[in-house]
Amino acid sequence: MSEMYQEGTEELLLNMGPQHPSMHGVFRMIVRLQGETVTGIEPKIGYLHRGLEKLAESRTYTQFIPYTDRLDYLASPHNNMAYVQAVEKLMGVEVPERAEYLRIIFAELARFASHQVFIASAALDIAGWTAWGYPFRDRERILDLFEMTSGSRLTVNAMRIGGMSFDPTPEFWAALESFVDDMPEKIEEYYNIYLGNEITQGRLKNVGILSKEAAENLCITGPALRASGVQYDVRKAEPYGIYDRFDFDVPVLYGCDSFDRNMIRFLEMNESLKIIRQAMRDIPEGPVMAKVPKIIKPPVGEVYHRVENPKGELGFYIVSNGTPKPERVKIRAGAFVNLQCLEEIGVGTYIQDLICSFASLDAVLGEVDK
Amino acid sequence: MDAINNLPVKIADVIRGLFADPNSIWADLTMTLIGMILVIVVIVVAALFLVILERKVAGWASQRPGPNRLGPRGWFQTIADALKLLGKEDFTPGNADKVMYKIAPMFVFGIPILTLAIVPFGYGMTVIDLELGIFFYLGVTSVSTLAFLMAGWSSNNKYSLVGGMRAVAQMISYEIPLIFSLLGVVMLTQTFNLTKIVEAQATIPFIFLQPLAFIIFLICGQAEVNRAPFDLLEADQEIIAGPFTEYSGLRWGLFYLGEYANLVAMCALAATVFLGGWQGPAILPGVAWFWLKVGLLIFVSMWVRWTFPRIRIDHLMHFAWKVLLPLALLNILLTGLGIYIYQLVIGG
Amino acid sequence: MGNNDVLRKRVDELAARVNGKVEEMIDTLVLTVQGAYITETLTAAKNFADVPCDFLHDIAGVDKVTHIEVVYQMTSLRGPQKLRVKAIVDREKPVIDSVTRIWAGANFMEREAYDMFGIQFTGHPNLKRIYMWDDFEGFPLRKDYVTEPVEVRNTMRVRRDDE
Repeated sequence: MSEMYQEGTEELLLNMGPQHPSMHGVFRMIVRLQGETVTGIEPKIGYLHRGLEKLAESRTYTQFIPYTDRLDYLASPHNNMAYVQAVEKLMGVEVPERAEYLRIIFAELARFASHQVFIASAALDIAGWTAWGYPFRDRERILDLFEMTSGSRLTVNAMRIGGMSFDPTPEFWAALESFVDDMPEKIEEYYNIYLGNEITQGRLKNVGILSKEAAENLCITGPALRASGVQYDVRKAEPYGIYDRFDFDVPVLYGCDSFDRNMIRFLEMNESLKIIRQAMRDIPEGPVMAKVPKIIKPPVGEVYHRVENPKGELGFYIVSNGTPKPERVKIRAGAFVNLQCLEEIGVGTYIQDLICSFASLDAVLGEVDK
Repeated sequence: MDAINNLPVKIADVIRGLFADPNSIWADLTMTLIGMILVIVVIVVAALFLVILERKVAGWASQRPGPNRLGPRGWFQTIADALKLLGKEDFTPGNADKVMYKIAPMFVFGIPILTLAIVPFGYGMTVIDLELGIFFYLGVTSVSTLAFLMAGWSSNNKYSLVGGMRAVAQMISYEIPLIFSLLGVVMLTQTFNLTKIVEAQATIPFIFLQPLAFIIFLICGQAEVNRAPFDLLEADQEIIAGPFTEYSGLRWGLFYLGEYANLVAMCALAATVFLGGWQGPAILPGVAWFWLKVGLLIFVSMWVRWTFPRIRIDHLMHFAWKVLLPLALLNILLTGLGIYIYQLVIGG
Repeated sequence: MGNNDVLRKRVDELAARVNGKVEEMIDTLVLTVQGAYITETLTAAKNFADVPCDFLHDIAGVDKVTHIEVVYQMTSLRGPQKLRVKAIVDREKPVIDSVTRIWAGANFMEREAYDMFGIQFTGHPNLKRIYMWDDFEGFPLRKDYVTEPVEVRNTMRVRRDDE
């Protein structure tokens, strides 16, 4: 009888499609399953591709700034900063001091907000519904701060080539001060309800291991790299703006698992608060915009400028040919390159672990798909 | 208080008296029919109420108001939801197994009705006072595993299949500690009959005599009803909605209400076996005490759901087989020793 | 700085070996080579003594109308050295060696360059389109792939002072 049929299990091909409650945007994965174990992953992206690089070639340098907002839409001041600093490097423009400090305040607020969304969505992926609500409620305060200055909550577009577009009102400073005072205990609260919980730790520890050598080989940057034991932060390695005047630590963890990738963002949130406090203390009075020509025409040349985005490293490679429109703008998105490690950390684990590991990479599809 | 306590029993006697022969089979049948209709009404109303209560508790846990638009402070939300579900298109997926697809929700909703029929709401107020009460309960709840598997298999959808498989693994694993935790109580009272178990708690509720069994029962109950942290079966973020992915409209509504009905049945059994059923100080009628206790347990269950994240499948199995089962067996050992020592000291 | 001189020396040596050209653009050394030498160049750059450029940041394609350039940005995780390597490939048949053997992380970056420019990377494990759908025809970021009419493209809208 046993010759008539072979007993065995078949592999199941599961399409975790672009519409999925936990795919962090429109991301598609084709997963091969053997029971509950993952044996192969094929990521398919491009569902949010808007052709920003092609659009850049027919827009002037200033017109392209709002497009950069839409890259990593959860931390848009950062993208603005990367782009305008690249163009300023190309042109050799000096930015006034007050604008530099303001840029750093906006950038660190954006980092804080982005990490809050990260905690909320990562918690939601393991059904910690309450832990979703707390960071989002506090993020509203940051969005209010953004709205006070630039009028827009999410895609801020607050920076220009040569400085900032707006000088914040006094209400901004009062609100910022109360925000910075309230946040340390809120971070404790997020930890207690999400990472401090035993079930969460059991779900995240020793899951999605990304060794140091694999991370370096796969060109991973950002918190994922630092959670694998490599001390590398663009703000310290190649300081941009005036980051070299600030006193802050770069947390590094050695666990290489999803838990550490989550934990390191908690530590980074504390560091961001430190930087904001120092900036608030030291900011001078003065203009917020340098004298730049009305039509921005950088000289012929090329530049590659990178910043430390909350997701990874965001780099802009701009080639200019002397006209007001760039010849080529290449966006090096941290989340795009970090997605390559999905196969490394996902294969051989369960579906549930794959979801947690993917969440810990913190990919935002706007950046991945450009 | 006695008057209100026994009001339903008096009404039942009056109805029975309407028949020519109060003990004939027709009288029995009619009484049972009335009882079943009553239980169905109670379950449906309770399940509908629990939908909005869950959302309010969720709001309380997340420090937000919860639904507050429809009706006074939002309490009519379920009516709106039910009307919306009634208005949806009734379709069956193309390649689904039609018969199983349509029967599965009926099972999920029907089983709790059967189990609630043997629970005493007050003295003499059970629909059917079975001698084999607990045994019947355990046997019938095992059938709900089948319902989830049927739904998962017949939907012709890989997500549903994975969900159905998880259902089987989880529910079978957690039934065993559930059974063993109830065995301690049975050992103390020497009967399966639920009314006698409640009467045996006249001096002290069994939660104090069997604290370990109570905790194990609550945990296994939570797992049997598929609520967080044990809701892998319908894990939104991984397998969309597990076995319920392809259901919509009233069929899905039946599944959803069935889950809450299951919760009510489980908490009713816990209140009967561990908390003393309808007994309580005479300021309130017995039925009111019963529902208060059930309500307390339901609230605790909801609180746990909205606080804890979801547990992974291998941790789930590990927890059931390697932690809860030995604890339940330990409980039986201690109960046996306790009874023996008690008889040595008191009985002779 | 001392580091920069050492790096300059190494890059000059390497350029002599692979017939490349060294320039300094804004703050980075740029080494331009022909496409055929790329594997040798990048392996040597990764293994420079004292100043290894062992972390790849980005692979970009640039369409200069006469040829296509493939631009590699490299720095190091353990030092301040930076290097940009530009490989010149023919525009009609752009073929170049893949560097996934050297850095596994070049996988997605090369797929993007293929998708947008049509550059064939020999030795790539999975050279398929990554952003556009699989049956898409054409290579969007090339200069001759036009999406708006020439008249609209070359008009500059400038805000006047009295607006």
